Amino acid sequence: MRKSWLRDYIIKRLLYSIVIAWGILTITFILVRVGPSSPADKYLANLAAKGHDPAQVIAAIEARYGLDKPILQQYGEYMLNLLQGNWGWSLSTSMPVMELIKRHWIYSFQLILLSSLFAAVLGILIGIYSAVRQYTKTDYAFTFLSFIGISIPNFWLGVMLILIFSVKLGIFKTYYDTTLPLFSLANLKALVLPVITLGTGMLAAYVRYTRSAMLENLRKPFVVTARAKGLPEHVVIGKHVFRNALLPLVTIIMFDLGSIVFGGAYLTEIVFGIPGLGQVSFNAIFANDYPVVVAITLIGTLVVLLVNLTTDIIYTYLDPRIRYD
Amino acid sequence: METGNIDAIVLRVNELRTYFFTRRGVIKAVDGVSFELRRGECLCLVGESGCGKTVTALSILRLFDSPPGRIVGGTVCYNSTDLTTCSPQQLRRIRGKEIALILQEAQSALNPVLTIGDQIIEQMRLHLPMDTNEARAKAVRLLREMGIPSAEDVLGYYPHQLSGGMKQRVLVAISLSCDPRVLIADEPTTAVDVTIKAQILDMFRELKEKRQMSIIFITHDLGVVAEIGDRAVIMYGGKDVETAPIPDIINFPKHPYTMGLLECLPDVAKEVERLNSIPGMPPDPSYLPSGCAFHPRCPRALDICPRQEPPLVQLSKEHKVRCHLYG
Amino acid sequence: MTETPKAIAKDRAPLSGGGLRLIGYYWRRLTRNRLAVFGLAFIIFLALVAIIGPFFTPDPTEVDFEAKNLPPVGFTITHSTYDIKTDQFITTRVSGNWKHPLGTDRKGRDMLAMIVSGARVSLQVGLLATGIAIIIGTIIGVMSAYLGDWVDNALMRFTDVMMTFPFFLLLVLIVFIFGPSLAFIVLAIGLTGWTGTARMVRSESLSLRTREFVMAAKALGAGDGWVVFRHLIPNVISLIIVIATLSIPGVILAEAALSFIGLGDPTVPSWGIILEEGQHSLTTAWWVAVEPGIMLFLTVLAFNFLGDGLRDAFDPKSSV
Repeated sequence: MRKSWLRDYIIKRLLYSIVIAWGILTITFILVRVGPSSPADKYLANLAAKGHDPAQVIAAIEARYGLDKPILQQYGEYMLNLLQGNWGWSLSTSMPVMELIKRHWIYSFQLILLSSLFAAVLGILIGIYSAVRQYTKTDYAFTFLSFIGISIPNFWLGVMLILIFSVKLGIFKTYYDTTLPLFSLANLKALVLPVITLGTGMLAAYVRYTRSAMLENLRKPFVVTARAKGLPEHVVIGKHVFRNALLPLVTIIMFDLGSIVFGGAYLTEIVFGIPGLGQVSFNAIFANDYPVVVAITLIGTLVVLLVNLTTDIIYTYLDPRIRYD
Repeated sequence: METGNIDAIVLRVNELRTYFFTRRGVIKAVDGVSFELRRGECLCLVGESGCGKTVTALSILRLFDSPPGRIVGGTVCYNSTDLTTCSPQQLRRIRGKEIALILQEAQSALNPVLTIGDQIIEQMRLHLPMDTNEARAKAVRLLREMGIPSAEDVLGYYPHQLSGGMKQRVLVAISLSCDPRVLIADEPTTAVDVTIKAQILDMFRELKEKRQMSIIFITHDLGVVAEIGDRAVIMYGGKDVETAPIPDIINFPKHPYTMGLLECLPDVAKEVERLNSIPGMPPDPSYLPSGCAFHPRCPRALDICPRQEPPLVQLSKEHKVRCHLYG
Repeated sequence: MTETPKAIAKDRAPLSGGGLRLIGYYWRRLTRNRLAVFGLAFIIFLALVAIIGPFFTPDPTEVDFEAKNLPPVGFTITHSTYDIKTDQFITTRVSGNWKHPLGTDRKGRDMLAMIVSGARVSLQVGLLATGIAIIIGTIIGVMSAYLGDWVDNALMRFTDVMMTFPFFLLLVLIVFIFGPSLAFIVLAIGLTGWTGTARMVRSESLSLRTREFVMAAKALGAGDGWVVFRHLIPNVISLIIVIATLSIPGVILAEAALSFIGLGDPTVPSWGIILEEGQHSLTTAWWVAVEPGIMLFLTVLAFNFLGDGLRDAFDPKSSV
């Protein structure tokens, strides 16, 4: 009975996600076409500086990009291309955008993964401790620190960390060394400062969310029942309270992912010179490499969509109350 | 413990004081409560909201919120251990195993994200030397005893899938799972409708008779007290103001508050224009009146009542009152 | 006859007596929070600096290579410059002076002037962009809640789509396409940052529609307009104020981040631009990276303190 409901729910959410994905692609298309500087203009400016005849170049570009066709046809081809994996050609790096993404996504991935783990594990632990020891000095200290943590501009934090630990103290290198093999300790060391940079803001946020979610549940009657059974305190907190706090926590963390993490990762990559997708986008901006910038925005968005879908499904597993039988 | 001796005292509360130290001042929730619970009896703690009966129950097992709350005086004696000062480990061995507590609202007393089975079994695994299968079997037996149909299935249910009455019974089942000697039930009939109320009262009667359980039954409903209680402790303003066996309380109430409570009970046979009520409101525990806490609402208040706290007067072997009228 | 003290009534809100008393009540609750007061004070200070500052500081874009890389007052730094004539490194000790109290950057521009200019930019962008986002969000939220059905559905799907875009990535894309002028940046931030507001306003409006006091008012004969004005709006306003205050830091950081990666308005010195330059002069002029960052940090902190304090002050359930 429950299983079939779950399957239906997943299918429903999947379909909905596809609708949202369509919306995302469409809006991106609109933005690109509506923009004053079309791909032709920007590339044109580059070429004109190299002495080519503008009129010819415009015609060639428009033919190349299909800009001379009616807009609906453009839209159709755009969608088709995207679905087939043809995300355009990167002018500045002379390779298909897809290829560019394939080469660089792993750097963003490792940064985001490590930072998220760091922030989540530490954040939840501190949050739980803070909630259980509410009103103590430690709690006040952590609360104050988390305010600081969410207020520090993360790109400035990165620069400051470089200033202190690389320039003044010389413990770390100032820029990420791309020659290091991914699964080496040296790579891990090189990622310490970036992970702290990206992770601090997330950490502070997770501490606050966890603490508030725990506090909401700590004084509930079922906690008294649990203690009245004679259960040791760590079971009461860990099993009874935390399982309930997890529900709103998961929702909030998921919400945060879209708005904060990718922006933060983008900036962190630029500060530390990590060749992830953020850095790629940054380079593309300055080379006026249109398709790349668009593609990376799309990728980020679609990943968020995927994460949202996954979290939705996970949530139905965690909260028995929303499974209607 | 002597068996068959109904005068054996199982739990003795003596001058218990639990205060809450908040930013706005001290709340004397329980301010000098004394009573004893005898084997096989049902002792009712009676009073309006705010009189301290729930805090008294929580204080017995030290389950109130501890940063603001603290036991500042008195003792709670069980099995020659003082529960107010014993170590947390000792306390945990007694909670659930010797003395069980059923909270006031069945709705929120169960953990919404754990199954019923999980919540019954975890306690048994903790206190009793059984493995999961034995615990499951016992849980099913208990649920059946409580009158819950398809007990096997219920083990896999979550609280939100049960009705209010069923949740109440599950709570009772949980509390009985380790065969405690004492059961403290906080207003188990308050939030339920009349038919369920009758079933629950039957259930408690059975517990008392079949299992020889000593029960502390907290309620504000004198009708319930009359039906199920052996003795009653009337509470007001954090103190026990009258203690007596049920027939005496009902027929020969001594404290003006008790008399007032009895007068409030509507008589089905009589037709009246207005229902009786005690004038005024129960006091806010953070701002108790001086002297006898009841004096502002007392129709028989004397001059001495606002000035001095009334003494405890032992009117007979079983009947005591805190009132200036008698001392 | 009862001796119940009046003390119990002291802290209850005087909900009758008009708006002014209500404002006074909330103000008292807010000012009990010391952090919030600090936040407010800093913001006022910053506003003053932004408004009056330009009259007292030199032109931030004025370059003066003679005075480049001066440290702030009280700091001394050693410069090693290669002198072609003598084929040697000449080490000079340079100290800060009061002419450039916060030092200068590598082109000799006065740091204080640039910081002041940055304050103007941040506050302008902060207030304007947040204003735009709040207005859009509120309109969409209220429309969604009141027009119901397919309007609600359509608007919420649209909001879902916009919410899925990572805020910063979308911002970068828009500014990249449309050009990095300050006006566009404000517009872009406003057009991308309304989704949270829309959701919250919609949910609050929906819940208010069915809340007991609205039903009670209607039962007493109040018409829809009256209900909206006297009951709904006051409750939504406090929510909007809190959302706005807590959104401003994100907006300021967004503008700073855009400037940092070079998508800011190049004609106006903003904290992000200064910081970017500072990152490249860490070894020679570390203050260029530290100063704008501290300002950003303190500004964001101040708004966060204030917003948190406002939220607690307006929340009837929190004991302030």
